[in-house]
Amino acid sequence: MAIDKITLGILANHCAAAAESMAFTLYRTAHSTFVKETEDFTTGLTTPDGQTFATPTDLGATWFVGLNYGNVIRVFDDYEDGDVCMTNDPYSGYVCTHPPDMHLWKPIFHEGEIVCFAVGHVHNTDVGGAVPASLSRTLTEVHQEGIRIPPTKLYSAGVLNQPILDVIRTNVRVPDQNWGDLKAQVAAMNTGERKVKEMIARFGIETFRQGMYDLMDYAEAQTRDLVRTLPDGVYRFADYLDEDSAGGYPCRIALKLTIEGDSIEFDFTGSDPQLESSINMPTGGDPRHILMMVGLDYVLYSLDPSILLNSGMTRVCHCILPKGTIVNPEFPAAVGMRSLTEARVMDVIFGAFAQVAPDRLAACSASGGPIMNVNSVDHRTGRRVVASIDPISGGAGGNPREDGTDGSGANSSFLKNTPVEINEAEVPIRILRYGLTKDSAGAGRYRGGLATELEFRVYAPNTKITARNRDRNRFRAWGTRGGRAGGPSSFLLNPGSNHEVNLGNTDILTVAPGDVIKVACGGAAGWGNPWERPAEDVLMDVRRGFVSPERASQDYGVVLANDRIDHAATEQRRTEMKSNASDAFFDFGSEREEFEAVWSEANYDVLTSGLAALPTHWRFFIKGRVFEAVSKLDAGEPIGDGTAVEAILRDIVAEYPQLSTAN
Amino acid sequence: MGYRIGVDIGGTFTDFCAFDEATKAVHTLKVLSTPDRPGEEVVQGLVALQDRYGIAPSEVSYFTHGTTVGVNTVIQRKGVNLCLFTTKNFEDVLEVARLKMPDPYDLFSRRPVPLVTKEKVFQIGGRILADGSEDVPVDEDSVRAAIAGVRDIGGEAIVVALLHAYRNAAHEHRVRDIVKAEAPDLAVICACDVWPVIREYERTVTAVVAGYVQPRVADYLTALEQSLERAGVPAVPMITKSNGGVMSAALGKTQCAQMLLSGTAAGVIGASYVARMTGSANTMSIDIGGTSADVAFIRDGEPQYGVGEMIGEFPIHIPTVSVTSIGEGGGSIAWVDAQGVLKVGPESAGSDPGPACYGKGGTRAAITDAFCVCGFLGQAELGYSAVHIDTELARKAVGNIAAQLGLGLQETAEAIIRVAVSGMYLEVSKLLSRYGIDPREFTLQAFGGAGPMLACFVARELGMERIVVPTTPGVLSAFGGLIADIKNDFIKTVYCDLDGGAETLRDGYAALRRDAMTWLHDEQGFAGEATLLYTADMRYRGQSFEIETVLQENWIEAGDLAAIADAFHAEHGRVYDHADDAAAVQAINLRLVIVGAAPKPELKQLPEGGQTPEPIGTMEVFYDGATHEAALYDRAALLAGQRIDGPAVVQQDDCTTCILGGFTAEIDSYGNLLLNG
Repeated sequence: MAIDKITLGILANHCAAAAESMAFTLYRTAHSTFVKETEDFTTGLTTPDGQTFATPTDLGATWFVGLNYGNVIRVFDDYEDGDVCMTNDPYSGYVCTHPPDMHLWKPIFHEGEIVCFAVGHVHNTDVGGAVPASLSRTLTEVHQEGIRIPPTKLYSAGVLNQPILDVIRTNVRVPDQNWGDLKAQVAAMNTGERKVKEMIARFGIETFRQGMYDLMDYAEAQTRDLVRTLPDGVYRFADYLDEDSAGGYPCRIALKLTIEGDSIEFDFTGSDPQLESSINMPTGGDPRHILMMVGLDYVLYSLDPSILLNSGMTRVCHCILPKGTIVNPEFPAAVGMRSLTEARVMDVIFGAFAQVAPDRLAACSASGGPIMNVNSVDHRTGRRVVASIDPISGGAGGNPREDGTDGSGANSSFLKNTPVEINEAEVPIRILRYGLTKDSAGAGRYRGGLATELEFRVYAPNTKITARNRDRNRFRAWGTRGGRAGGPSSFLLNPGSNHEVNLGNTDILTVAPGDVIKVACGGAAGWGNPWERPAEDVLMDVRRGFVSPERASQDYGVVLANDRIDHAATEQRRTEMKSNASDAFFDFGSEREEFEAVWSEANYDVLTSGLAALPTHWRFFIKGRVFEAVSKLDAGEPIGDGTAVEAILRDIVAEYPQLSTAN
Repeated sequence: MGYRIGVDIGGTFTDFCAFDEATKAVHTLKVLSTPDRPGEEVVQGLVALQDRYGIAPSEVSYFTHGTTVGVNTVIQRKGVNLCLFTTKNFEDVLEVARLKMPDPYDLFSRRPVPLVTKEKVFQIGGRILADGSEDVPVDEDSVRAAIAGVRDIGGEAIVVALLHAYRNAAHEHRVRDIVKAEAPDLAVICACDVWPVIREYERTVTAVVAGYVQPRVADYLTALEQSLERAGVPAVPMITKSNGGVMSAALGKTQCAQMLLSGTAAGVIGASYVARMTGSANTMSIDIGGTSADVAFIRDGEPQYGVGEMIGEFPIHIPTVSVTSIGEGGGSIAWVDAQGVLKVGPESAGSDPGPACYGKGGTRAAITDAFCVCGFLGQAELGYSAVHIDTELARKAVGNIAAQLGLGLQETAEAIIRVAVSGMYLEVSKLLSRYGIDPREFTLQAFGGAGPMLACFVARELGMERIVVPTTPGVLSAFGGLIADIKNDFIKTVYCDLDGGAETLRDGYAALRRDAMTWLHDEQGFAGEATLLYTADMRYRGQSFEIETVLQENWIEAGDLAAIADAFHAEHGRVYDHADDAAAVQAINLRLVIVGAAPKPELKQLPEGGQTPEPIGTMEVFYDGATHEAALYDRAALLAGQRIDGPAVVQQDDCTTCILGGFTAEIDSYGNLLLNG
């Protein structure tokens, strides 16, 4: 029987307090600066079967609402008071999603019975493996991505499992940090346990036990109410990562969204095969895997911020995640850089929902900016410095009510930058510019947010720059309802000099003294027709240095003369724009239009269904062969109907007779 | 001999606390604030003090006050037309801020629009490096172009905030001098003179808030000085500061950044005084008003300090008494969501129209209405008769909620209280974990108009066993101002390794000490003994945040770096539960606080009374699902040593204390209520 609604509201506050207190305890006692800078951690409480019913919102990463710990909890037949378990293996139950994330769970007992679990994770700076920080797009198997701990008891009945700790310490680059952060996690678990015991004392065991489930039912009811306001239908959307591996071909994520009554289905059939790089998403095919729910959670919470954030909200949805694809790779696919793909998966979900609720949701937000790291020797001290200098982020897409936020926003809102003054004091670089990128945003009635850019000079030879998560150098953020696509990201060596190099999506390079690096995120896209934006607003953007006079004229039809609006010329230009306008819902930018002139929906259907019939470990290879062959076809020949790709695929498969007998 | 007067000017009421130096008596008073005519409420209050207590303006020997005029200027965005000069290529410092959004789960979350929007930002050529050396001299033509730009948009004032000016102020000062020479009518402030600390966004936004409010605050203070002079008050007016100290109002006209949280900080100073007086060294104070509750922690009888407190939507990074505002107060409104779950807040009836029971047009049930329906309120006038309670209106408002919930009227009222208190529990729990505090080791001190009403409920929710309700809970901020010391903070960013940094520390502190002495003795005219507090913001190399560590002067003089490092390790351990004695330590900022002690009143002790005071009546109150008979007491009649067993209600001019069953109140020798549960 459900507990009464008054008690439910009060219990909701107490559970939130428990989760928040756990998060503050972890944040306060964590050893690594990484945790404090990026807040890449979570805490929470789950039911005995692993459903999260309490999540913090003040601190921590935003991706893990409703993470289900059931698969790892069930690994152990019995638990004792004082046990603390851990895993960072993405292939042991698909709770952990890449090896740097160390997940812990601790049973909380009342009179000898498990009442719930305290849970949480920390992204460790390094867990060993092939590269420092354990993450690189170039890795091809999970074995290269660091030590993997299958579900294991770190403490048994309060006694530390020293051998396993020693194994971890031996295999990571900065063992004290890992151990320090583990201790902080344990402290957070203990805070959660204390809070739960206080709740049991206050509410009574029966009310608490029932209340956990009622809180999820409450969130589910709120969410179903919201989904019922969305029109039923089938909505399709796809988007691309620029590269499926370093220097590779585009990688497609495709979604068919179905809304029926108060339920949602995500069908990812048609997404690319799993890759020989580390951007696979380890979901195990779980129909409500957390990585596939992040975009949904954002949409639902943004449409109704009163929704309680717990597992209940994700019950409205289930996913179809074909095996052997980027959204459900098979062991031992590498997964470390799944965050790069996650950004695009979110965009795909946002793109589908943008069609569902065009007057309530925004155009595409920015992504593709890296987290910049510098590894150099400081000439002032002689010391080697390895530092994360800044996340290069971009803004939110324009939305039906206002411009997108500049510099950060939408689904990239939780990272902080590092002050220029701190970077220059700590790291042997000179920052030449840090700010917003003019003309980077997509035009619209409500424009997208501007990207940030960073330009700096290095001073030491053999300085290594890493730029994780680079993307959107080719395919841009898409505008909606007449709004224009955002600008591409960029990564340049020695810009404006006679030895300028376009680094594209490179994510690691070595530079020399005097070299200048300039990096910018992609821009966010606009919402609505740009010619409907009040000319005064466009003029103000020009005065603010956000839009150049040329682009004011070209994109918005606002013609300026001497810092004033030329009304006659503007009127004329805007009339022209209006009459030439396309009525397409999305604006993808010319790069994607050109790509899709070749790689049409029909071609992708042929390719992905053809690849799906092959053994998993062949798919990435064959995909590459097909793309190579298509790129050699004569330009100008229309190939969009699928027949050419079908023939190419058949020919390539025929080259490998072993495929016909392979499993 | 004369009267020392502390005043706190709030949004609704202006509170007065007058201390009679001869008799040791403390007199209190509230008058309605006059936000449209700042200063007038002070004059009205002085008249009322004379009428009520016979205090003549000419007898006022000391006058200090706290005001929200600075904060309101920011919240209402009624400041000066301000421009900002930044280093070229770093002009988006306010737009980009620190990137993080207020609610990262919400795709539509936004940072507030900066007080200086981008068309009012101008770029200055020239560059200072991290070590303070000059890389490129100031481009004076760019300054002149910027001044012309300010003219074009009708700017009235300029903040100059250049990179690394905390290390070398020469460029900012050069720019200021050019502006003064070429545009003497424009007010100009250098960020390094407001608070010279590393981190460009924090330093810039602090200076911008200061520059934005400065003319309004200066005008207000001038008007106040004139009002006091006309009224015949001989004392030099003082103003309470965000750091819990006071300074002369005259100095406040230029050092506006220092007084933005003046009233709030003074409340915590008052609470600290009460904490020491009642032997509650570790106290959590909660000041609950109409729209919010301000929570502060007092350790060893001292307030805690921090930076980054919010002024409206903007953080200011100068040392401030740490206070966290929770968006729940007596006016928070109850409502029922689509799933039938009862919620309280964040919407508030505030002071206008206020809770339904105030009879000023409010119709939706607020927390105060719930207390009214439960029978705790309505026996007396509130706020020195400024408010009359109409229980019927409260019943009607709560009745609307009861109908939606399908519950009885009193059950609904109690549910509103319980939900509201659980919301406070949530916010306070975060703070407890952030600071690593066990509430059972702390005393709850409740003040503000609604604090004593909610105190027992909050204490029960948090598992706190001891509550203090001060004698003047409604005017504790005014009292705090009265006892606050003259105090100022000084900072110097050194950014050095502790190892080998002895000379840097010694020289740095010597410079700070010179500045501090000049401030106290020359600018404040303080003749007494100065107290100096040395601290440093330190960290392990590689960390991105610092911990303020208290240092001893002899360590600095003797270059005892080991003692300094040990102090940091110990502080790191206290704050974060771990320390690394082997790791390298850096000193980022040196800080110095100078204090000139204000004379403290010796409060009068109450005569001893019998065991149990005489109630002035009995009443029925509803809580814990049942009706209880409660005795009603008049606070003014209580005597030292008396005991009251809950359930009981104690009423006084400006608030009502609810004592639930299970709590016992003792009246201490100064008249504070000490509740044990």
